[in-house]
Amino acid sequence: MEPVISIKNLVNRFGSQIVHDGLCLDIRRDEILGLVGGSGSGKSVLMRSILGLQKPTSGSITVLGQQIEYHKPGPSRCWGVLFQGGALLSGLTVQQNVELPIALYSDMPLETRHELASLKLLMTGLSLSVADKYPSELSGGMRKRVSLARALALEPKILFLDEPTAGLDPIAATEFDELIRYLHDNLDLTIMMITHDVDSLFGICDRIAVLVDGGVVVGTQDEVLDSDHPWIKSYFGVPRAQRARRAMRRPANEQ
Amino acid sequence: MSNTFLSFENEPGRLIVNVMGQWVFDEVLALEHATATVNPESGQSVTFQCAGLEEIDIAGAWVLYDRTEQLAVDGIKSEFTGFKAAHFKFLQNIIDAAAIRDYEEPPEHPVRPQRVRKAVENLGSNSSVVIEDLGEIARSVLEGMRSPSLYMVGETIKQVYQTGVQAIPVVMVITFLIGIVTVHQAASQLEKFGATVLVVDLVSISITREMGVLLAAIMVAGRSGSAFAAALGVMKLNEEVDAMRVLGLNPNQMLVIPRILGLVIALPILTIFADIAGIAGGALIAIGSMGISGLQFLERVAYSTDLTNFYIGLIKAPVFALLIAAVGTLRGMQVKSSAEELGLKTTMAVVQSIFMIIVADALFATLFTRMGI
Repeated sequence: MEPVISIKNLVNRFGSQIVHDGLCLDIRRDEILGLVGGSGSGKSVLMRSILGLQKPTSGSITVLGQQIEYHKPGPSRCWGVLFQGGALLSGLTVQQNVELPIALYSDMPLETRHELASLKLLMTGLSLSVADKYPSELSGGMRKRVSLARALALEPKILFLDEPTAGLDPIAATEFDELIRYLHDNLDLTIMMITHDVDSLFGICDRIAVLVDGGVVVGTQDEVLDSDHPWIKSYFGVPRAQRARRAMRRPANEQ
Repeated sequence: MSNTFLSFENEPGRLIVNVMGQWVFDEVLALEHATATVNPESGQSVTFQCAGLEEIDIAGAWVLYDRTEQLAVDGIKSEFTGFKAAHFKFLQNIIDAAAIRDYEEPPEHPVRPQRVRKAVENLGSNSSVVIEDLGEIARSVLEGMRSPSLYMVGETIKQVYQTGVQAIPVVMVITFLIGIVTVHQAASQLEKFGATVLVVDLVSISITREMGVLLAAIMVAGRSGSAFAAALGVMKLNEEVDAMRVLGLNPNQMLVIPRILGLVIALPILTIFADIAGIAGGALIAIGSMGISGLQFLERVAYSTDLTNFYIGLIKAPVFALLIAAVGTLRGMQVKSSAEELGLKTTMAVVQSIFMIIVADALFATLFTRMGI
């Protein structure tokens, strides 16, 4: 099957620092790909390159068959992005934030637009009482949900999530993971997410991509865990990763 | 009766609707028109045949669902066959349809009395906030003077450089040009009385007493007043100001006082440069095209403009500086939540400081005239 996102020989260099060195990665349809890597390994740079927000030194990226060019409109109808801080427009209410992309890309009447936006808010588990609030009046978790609702507003095929559970308490983080899984199962979404939360990594990701040495090691959870690379070994060797993994294994074995 | 998305088969007791094509976001408008044509006769139930459906997303499913809900209100049952996407169940799971329809269009114009009331309330609360903030700043100044820290001194010097030294070229160019304009305008009038030489008096007095300091102050308000408001506003948004407080530092002392002090030092210096440039501009035209000799020019300047004029201009500078810096920093510190507010407060800082400069200048003019100087 044709990959949804295809990255070929991506090179990103800042001065003498080489972040990506001939990186190749395919993201398949309907998978949840978890992207991990140490600080400065270029996770955000990779995502920004895919989104056309960053000019790669060389290499090519295609999303849904369309070549991505720096600061040119990409397939923005087909992707949704959840930025780390939410990146909601602070001058607009929650409702207006979600309605904005719908208003930009369609000519539907006000009422339908409003209903669709409300629907997206409900889908992300928000109550409509937040609709008239401003982003600054919301908690961090709610802001992420609103941002997710906005990302879903145009029925995207691909969803990019940048550390979706960072800054959330364990209960909210677990709920958010479940929400992502739920949306993925119901909406034919391909999801690429940067995360350092080992629970969500093992909990909801179909494949894991680890950025090391300017390249990428990608595979299913077991394949990545069997890797001999020292950084990967130490990343998944720390106690919290082990615990998360054991916690995920248990229910699987019981079935 | 059929279209791209729907075709109908009438059976006794039920209406069969074949759902076809692309039921996606882009087609919502057309889909709404299509579903509006599903009008079963009384006593009929509706069956949606979805086998011919090519693609459906949440938006499309919503339109279909919405129609069945409307039909249900009229007591018409609808059912679905051959639905392959899970969307519909998904919708039912999450929708509290009643809540979604609770939408009322916002009134176009807010009711007037409320507006006036709100404005008055805002005025009241704003002025109390301003007084409170000014008091806090004044207290910080006094505290800072009692125990000046090295950091504050360094920061103040930096501000003098940024708001004063760096502004010298632009302020000089502007007053130079205004000097030229003044001489041109005045000369054409004074010529009629054969008193062309008096343009020298006019330009040197007006520049030193009024124009030099006023232009420098307005330029600085636009340049530094806005910079103060924006810089402090962003620091507030980034929680840097909160971080300072938590560290036991007084943000007023660290951020506000150096800016005020810096500008109070910088603006008089700028004024001197402005005066020089303004008179030089006047001299260029007077000497160059009006036949007044250089010596004559200098003589008239010395005769007409004593140091009092120069001091009157100069004494206004620290007052203007205080106004600009206080308004700019105060507005910056008032930013609380959003980027939009930041823009608003920055605009307010510039507009209000220029406004206050001119008001203060008018007061000074009246005062000095009454005093007879």
